[in-house]
Amino acid sequence: MTDAGARVDAHAVGRRAIVPALVVALYLVVPLAFAGNLHLMSLVVASLTIGGIALAWALLGNLGGLVSFGHAAFFGVGSYASALLVMKAGWPIAAAIVAGGASAALAAVLVLPALRLRGPYFALAVLAYAHIFRIVATEWKSLTNGAGGIGSIPRFPVVLGYDFSGKTGAYWIVLSLVLAFAIVYRRVRYSDYGLALSAMHDSEEATRAVGVNSVLLKAAMLFLSAFMTGVMGAFNAHYIGFLEPDYAFSGLWTMLPIVAAIFGGYRTIAGPLFGAVVVYLVDQLVFKAVMPIGHQIVLGALLGAMILWSPEGLLPALANRLPRAGARPSRDA
Amino acid sequence: MTELVLQALYSGVLTGSSYALIALGLALVFGTMKIINLAHGELVLLGAYIAYTCESALGVNPLLAIPAAIVVVCIATALTYALVARIGRDRELNSLLLTYGVGVMLTNGALLLWKADIRSTRSAWLQEAFVMGPLYSMRSELLFFVVSVAIIAGLWWWLARTWAGRAVRAVASNREAAKLMGIDPHRVELASFVVAGLLAAFAGVAIYSFGVIQPSLGTSLTIKAFVITVLAGMGSVPGVLVGALLLGITESLTTTFLSSALQELAGMVLFLVVLFALPNGLFGTAWRRRVR
Repeated sequence: MTDAGARVDAHAVGRRAIVPALVVALYLVVPLAFAGNLHLMSLVVASLTIGGIALAWALLGNLGGLVSFGHAAFFGVGSYASALLVMKAGWPIAAAIVAGGASAALAAVLVLPALRLRGPYFALAVLAYAHIFRIVATEWKSLTNGAGGIGSIPRFPVVLGYDFSGKTGAYWIVLSLVLAFAIVYRRVRYSDYGLALSAMHDSEEATRAVGVNSVLLKAAMLFLSAFMTGVMGAFNAHYIGFLEPDYAFSGLWTMLPIVAAIFGGYRTIAGPLFGAVVVYLVDQLVFKAVMPIGHQIVLGALLGAMILWSPEGLLPALANRLPRAGARPSRDA
Repeated sequence: MTELVLQALYSGVLTGSSYALIALGLALVFGTMKIINLAHGELVLLGAYIAYTCESALGVNPLLAIPAAIVVVCIATALTYALVARIGRDRELNSLLLTYGVGVMLTNGALLLWKADIRSTRSAWLQEAFVMGPLYSMRSELLFFVVSVAIIAGLWWWLARTWAGRAVRAVASNREAAKLMGIDPHRVELASFVVAGLLAAFAGVAIYSFGVIQPSLGTSLTIKAFVITVLAGMGSVPGVLVGALLLGITESLTTTFLSSALQELAGMVLFLVVLFALPNGLFGTAWRRRVR
């Protein structure tokens, strides 16, 4: 334990200089460099949105040991909840976004019985749930206006004289959200809960035997993951300004984060974010230009190839190539 | 009123027979490999699109496209198996992600080749009404019901009576013991994938013959097959049959008495009720692996 702790500390010291520099660059350099190119900037915002979901998905997979094929459900619930709270109940946007996350976590309560199911069953049950939520959003016309969707959702307001409704404002918001998620993820992982969860990954039976309530821990990770995904959905609703069931609950909100997390390395914190930016930008800028429809065939192939040849993901694979003193086991990377 | 109910039950049984073909394929592969093929619905859809291509490009009746659909879908399932078999570790979860990726490829491949448009058969012969007393159906529905029953009977015979079928059951019940008896589990796994492909090809052509298809249909077919296996309690062939009929009937009763838009939701509600109230499914407990 002390050994592992010392290694983490040594690593943290190494990072202490790099991380702030990187954060400053992300906040200032990216907008300055791309602000003139609205299309590129909107792609960057979308890629970070997917990065946030990918991080939440990876948290559930890495800490909770659960693979979900239905995160679109949480994304959609978060986006509708936030938009409706602002439009029908007059909530301020910031509070509504948090409430959007909370609604998604609440929706995750419905998924709890599926926690009794192991591995493949849970994964598929959540896929079925995503389907249910999309149908409900389509049919509950009095609340959601059904397939017609809801338009002119209020955008981000002017704060301290800066109008956040533009691309750069949205970029700063989504970047802050994603970084906050990463910090929360990191804290959970190195907390006692993270230790218990990690032990659970090695042997669930043994961990239960020493008095850890594994179902409760898994449920907690599910709620946290759903909350983060819901917040991303809520952000996106106010950024895009328009919602319809087939968009808010689209399978893409499940598929893109999975490909991103697996590509970058779902047992790492940086991997899903890195994966989302690379995968989404390359998909939109290269593959979409070549094949206007059906271009995601490449992402399906990428997912399959990663699982077969590099299931740990790209970042851990790269880290293993670079010889480094005190290299940590890949699960911690 | 009684006539409406009878008609709904009848339609539900006819549709349920095609659902049974899909769910049996999923259950068969789960039996031998303990994995769920998330691309299964897309493979069914591939069969449907082969029928569409044969009809639109060559002008042949979708029924005559069955051999072509079988060849293409079985090759696709064999390729899927070849990929899944390469997975090194953590096969249970990695196979889900891999077959999910295959499903994404197939859906987008369908978008590329056949576009996003909704397609249905142009054959008037298949769509003609077939009236039996108070009950009505399309000719294609009844035809494929008979075909499905024959295939299910054939599958039952194969599993119960042939060496290969017994080998499949042996690997499903105890892989290690089956190995000791001289069974090559890899060949059995391949066989289960190919037979699942065969069932999927028939189901695909059936769906094209009496329904409408579009690239996004694959996922919802996979979900239907999964819901049926949850209803059944994974593993039993009779359970899958009852689950499939139950789903078909629930959907058609909803269409008759509520609205066709709620049809899919009704199946999902059924799924939720079973998941909450009877977590072991309607039949059997042996296969459900639980945490506690």
